Amino acid sequence: MTEKSQSPAGAPKSVKQQRAARREEKVAQFRRDQARRERNRRFGIWGGIGGGIVAVAAIVALVVVTSLPPAPVVITGLQTFSNDATHVTGTVDYPQDPPAGGAHHAAWLNCGIYTEPVPNENAVHALEHGAVWVTYDPALPESEVEALRAAVPSTYAVVSPYPGLGAPVVVSAWDAQVSLDGVEDPRLAQFIQAYWKSADAPEPGAACTGGVDGAGRIA
Amino acid sequence: MSEEAPAARRSRWPVAVLALLGIVIALAGMFWFGRASVVGSVPVSTSADAGFLRDMQTHHEQAVEMAMLMRERTDDADLRAIAYDIATAQSQQSGIMYGWLQQWGLDQYGVPMLWMQGGDGHPGHATPADGGGATMPGMATREQLAELEAADGARAERLFLELMIAHHRGGIEMAEAAERLATQPIVRDFAAKTIAVQTAEIDAMERMLAER
Repeated sequence: MTEKSQSPAGAPKSVKQQRAARREEKVAQFRRDQARRERNRRFGIWGGIGGGIVAVAAIVALVVVTSLPPAPVVITGLQTFSNDATHVTGTVDYPQDPPAGGAHHAAWLNCGIYTEPVPNENAVHALEHGAVWVTYDPALPESEVEALRAAVPSTYAVVSPYPGLGAPVVVSAWDAQVSLDGVEDPRLAQFIQAYWKSADAPEPGAACTGGVDGAGRIA
Repeated sequence: MSEEAPAARRSRWPVAVLALLGIVIALAGMFWFGRASVVGSVPVSTSADAGFLRDMQTHHEQAVEMAMLMRERTDDADLRAIAYDIATAQSQQSGIMYGWLQQWGLDQYGVPMLWMQGGDGHPGHATPADGGGATMPGMATREQLAELEAADGARAERLFLELMIAHHRGGIEMAEAAERLATQPIVRDFAAKTIAVQTAEIDAMERMLAER
């Protein structure tokens, strides 16, 4: 912008005037470009911000969805109770059969596999320590009993026959129980997953060894 | 120049937007992977962390059982002391491991020893067909425990020391795997301490065994 002279009005365009016109045209072009740059800059900024927000929202949604705990498996026919945990010395008349918690003896039953029925009052103490108790109808064929024994964890589980059982298999934990249709019933695994060493037991993780053995313990 | 410049400018802003988007996504991604893999995150149920915490509880529980059996079967002050030490320390550690799983919302049950079969070329000891009796390194058999239960005096002491040295070696093997495979610093630190303590106890028990 260093114009030194002005051309008279109406006169034919001198070289200087032509230069001035070109200069003006250049200035106008520069302003148009500047306006477009400004427009593009705004597009860029707002596009970037918008895109960024969408990306962050997508990541947040992904994190939230993947960190949600899986929906708990619903165990069909599950019964839950609310038993107390007092120590007694005699026999106990339990509200559930087989018992799923309640008063019990000072000595707990050692977890393991039994071929004979085990004393309820000791078994309930094992449930208090977080054990799962798998009881089966003594009429069950030996092959099915073997399958049942193989499907149960090696610790914190008691497997024993239970005369008079109202189902082929009943699996119990402290304050929870489900009757099974047989040894292949998928609810056995579901129950073990949910209740083995369950935090719902009064003393989960307390020993299931060093107590008393029932008759016929084989493992 | 005046012909080319606008075209060059036109092609510049989408690049800027893409670059910005890329940076945002990269930062968010780093944040997410960092969060998912290290501090403040919750390990998943199939992680080595969860598997170790479950299986080491089972492993510790048998050490407690053996130590309590020993304490009831000897008057030897050194053996009674190390048995008391192992029983109480490992009970406490089992409680810690139980508590972490509980705090992370993970089930206490998981198929044993699958986590040690993880892709580091280290063979695990699990037999997955077995619903839960997969053997862990160093675990005493039911028969060995029955033998210890039936023994007393010097014979019980020697048997206990042999079984517990093997048990500790197996425990160290599991803890070394956890040090390699676990993602939680608190779990790796726990495994490192377990290795240090059980290594020292093996030395002590080997001396006691040599004296008998």
